[in-house]
Amino acid sequence: MSSPLADRLDHGVASGIDASASAPAAEADDNQVSNRSSQPPAVRKLPPPESSADTRRRSLVVASFWFIVLCLGLPIWWKTTTIYRANLPLSQMTDWADGKTCSPVFPLQVSVEAPALQDGEAQNLMRITQYALETMTDFPGYRLQLEMPQTTTADQTTDPSRESNTALTIRLQPGDVAASTLHPHLPVLEVTYPPSSIPSPESSSNGFATYLATQLRSTFAEEQAIMSYLLATSSIPSDQQPQGSSLDTTESLSKRMTRSLKYSGTYHLTFSLFTSGPAPSSWDIEAAIDQYMKPVLDMLKPIHNFTIDTQVQLYAAPGVHSQVLSKEDLSSFINAAEWPLSPGIGGAPTVNFVVFTGNQTIGMDSETETSQSWLIPQWGSVYLLSPPPATHVPSDLLKQPILTFTSHLLSLLGTPQSGSLPMRLSTLTRIRSADLLLRASSSLGSLARLSLALPSISIPSSVADGVAKSMHHLELACANLGSTESLEHARIAEAEAERAFFEKSMVGQLYFPDEHKVTVYLPLLGPVGVPLVMGLLSELKAWRQRRQQKAKLS
Amino acid sequence: MNHGKMHLQETAGLYATAAALRLALFTLFPALPDLLTGRVEISTPVTSFKRLQEGLFLYNHNVSPYDGGVYHQAPLLLPLFSLLPDPSAYPIFTYVLYIMVDLLSAHALYKIAESGEAASSRLFTSARKDRRWSGYVVAAIFLFNPFTIATCLARPTSVFTTCAILHAVAKAIYGTPFTAMLSLSFAAYLSMYPILLLPPLVLLAYDRQHASNRILSLLQFAGTNVAAASVSLGALFAVSYLLTGSWEFMSSTYGIQLTLNDLTPNVGLWWYFFIEMFDSFRSFFLGVFWLHLSSYVGGLSIRIRSQPLAVVTLLLGIFGIFKPYPSVSDASLFFAMLPLFRHVFPLMRYSFLTASVVLYSTFLGPAFYHLWIYYGSGNANFFYAITLVWSLGLSLLVSDMTFAVLRDEWEVERPEMVGKEIRQI
Repeated sequence: MSSPLADRLDHGVASGIDASASAPAAEADDNQVSNRSSQPPAVRKLPPPESSADTRRRSLVVASFWFIVLCLGLPIWWKTTTIYRANLPLSQMTDWADGKTCSPVFPLQVSVEAPALQDGEAQNLMRITQYALETMTDFPGYRLQLEMPQTTTADQTTDPSRESNTALTIRLQPGDVAASTLHPHLPVLEVTYPPSSIPSPESSSNGFATYLATQLRSTFAEEQAIMSYLLATSSIPSDQQPQGSSLDTTESLSKRMTRSLKYSGTYHLTFSLFTSGPAPSSWDIEAAIDQYMKPVLDMLKPIHNFTIDTQVQLYAAPGVHSQVLSKEDLSSFINAAEWPLSPGIGGAPTVNFVVFTGNQTIGMDSETETSQSWLIPQWGSVYLLSPPPATHVPSDLLKQPILTFTSHLLSLLGTPQSGSLPMRLSTLTRIRSADLLLRASSSLGSLARLSLALPSISIPSSVADGVAKSMHHLELACANLGSTESLEHARIAEAEAERAFFEKSMVGQLYFPDEHKVTVYLPLLGPVGVPLVMGLLSELKAWRQRRQQKAKLS
Repeated sequence: MNHGKMHLQETAGLYATAAALRLALFTLFPALPDLLTGRVEISTPVTSFKRLQEGLFLYNHNVSPYDGGVYHQAPLLLPLFSLLPDPSAYPIFTYVLYIMVDLLSAHALYKIAESGEAASSRLFTSARKDRRWSGYVVAAIFLFNPFTIATCLARPTSVFTTCAILHAVAKAIYGTPFTAMLSLSFAAYLSMYPILLLPPLVLLAYDRQHASNRILSLLQFAGTNVAAASVSLGALFAVSYLLTGSWEFMSSTYGIQLTLNDLTPNVGLWWYFFIEMFDSFRSFFLGVFWLHLSSYVGGLSIRIRSQPLAVVTLLLGIFGIFKPYPSVSDASLFFAMLPLFRHVFPLMRYSFLTASVVLYSTFLGPAFYHLWIYYGSGNANFFYAITLVWSLGLSLLVSDMTFAVLRDEWEVERPEMVGKEIRQI
């Protein structure tokens, strides 16, 4: 850009303008040497010697350019290209990623209510059962802590959810045979026992205690399987992981986990009624949601918030037109191009629930089975409603769809399938906390590895802030694992870690190898650097020659 | 006094014709001023009349004019323009103001030309000094230059800078260094880059001091003048501070030129370069570009020490190419100074090429911009390519003039070489 001008100023013009009156072959390549004038003037005419004032002026011009380069250019270069790297607590971050700081092993409290037993007997039973639990080799990752409730054992009205850390209550009742049932609505395991099976204070093992331990294990088996699946897919090295899930459960779990949505504090639920024709054109969705879905949403409140909107779309053509939908058709049934199902509005992920009225049916393998709905992983669910007689869909017709949607919502949220709803939800809280903890830790670990692997990447202070916040919340989450606060802390920790990792100014530099710097500096070094350096070199050469001449003369 | 009166009589006809032409254009083509105001070739983010209106509106409603990030011009322009009636209702007052500024610039140019400083300065007298245009011709060339007329119609605030620079030069030549410094500090206050003209201007003023109160030491003279310039600049800043109530104007006016946050296309070389630049190198290259712009000041002032006016002219040409937000008004200032050096015109080697390149880019530039922005059939490269050609034309002219001035100097040293073929080694 600057080359012709800078060159002329700094090099050419400064060194004087030379004339060669005759042939261009007579090249006066060295105008400093004037003592060759003995040669015939017809062949070569040399310029007269430069005056000392000219030489001095030329040196000054060269010096003025170099003055700017050295006194202003170099400091600017240094200041603007120094990479700012905020200090990251790298070893702590790696510790988190390796699970050394905190491994998500949840201490679960199981309280035992045995109104019919003496205190001593009950204590003894607990001791033996606890021992039996601890000796079970294939049940790691959990510390089940049996305890007697502090209040009087006879108090049947004790609210099981009073203490958030009590995961399960065992109610022992005398009966004919040893049998157990899970309470359908409360996290309570009701166990009957033949009075004869109560162990004597001296015995160290007992059939009933072992039975109790096995029951407890099977109650928590699913949660444990999910936990070990999470740990297996996390960044924690395998020798630190509790072992134990078989291969086929891992497979079914991975299917379930990929189906569920990524955790978010708030989900947006969109209920859509699509009709193939002009009717029905209205529906009682608000009442139906209030009646059939609201209770579950209320129970989910400690874990998730929900926002809801609804829409009705007439003359909506589905993506597949065949009368009987085969299994393959289901994936293309949603007409994504035409149906107004917008993805995530306002940050919260959207869960779509589509009721489609038309006379299409789902073809099943066997003739007798019928089905009306299917779940689309990480997206939502679809319910085929046979056309109602009127243009208005009353809320009782919507009962089945909404109940189906509710159960689909639970599985989209990753809720375990066994147990009563309160138990499933408390399990969900623990699973989600563990999941978020592991994600946050692994993001921190990746960030630590990244900053070690790319020494030229700049780390803004906002990243360091995010890391510090994330680790603070991780510690808080770890301090009271299993509670809803821990879930909240884990959520913040995960969000901060993600934000730090995906810092905008760093992402751009991920793909900026050192070779690119050559292409950045070359346009500068070429046109600006060459005249500068050449000017300086010729100036130095001339200075040396002058000194030599002086030495010769003297 | 008598002399000045004679000037006025001589030039009154010229000024009247120029003013009438401008007024006619303003009134006969009422859409023309607004059309030209929108042209990126004339209005840059730091000079645009439209942006001035925005700042004026905010200022008149007691909001900081720099809120919203549209207005990037000096705060003192605001009270001046708020004295005028609303330009959309009574545009004539604005027109008259801009015409007056153009005439003042022409008058300064007239005085510069009449002084004959271009061809014979204190340290150097050209062998061709008789070959020159009178001030009348030089002022006429400035006033009837289509670039100047277009600039006047588009009403960018760069005309005030032009006027201040020309007056600074004229005052320096007529031996009133402090007025020159005051004028230069106005120019620097309005658009920052003229502060780089300080060294050659001090040299010019030093050479043209009145014999009666000469200061012999260059250092002493430079010291007092730089102090005078700093004091007047400081006073301008202080008034601006009192006017706006904060120092915010510094970052919004000069900061925007230093950091180039507004990447609106213009005829210069910066915008495209910094659109493409990697973010991590952006500040480094901003430094490089500014240093490049200012590095010529020292070299030229030393090399052509004997002709400070030539240095000022060459620097104005260089600024017109390499400054952050150049426009054709900068080119018109350079073209206004160029006729002062008529004596070196025969020594220029690429006059035809330069003229063709400048004309070529003048006609194709708006066309390519139209293709890019309005038809969408071209892209940014179209317009950038034509601005490269424009800058090439101007830099050819600047380097050709440098060559001619140096050759003229050399021919005085070596009279036997006049008219001979030479080669640069």
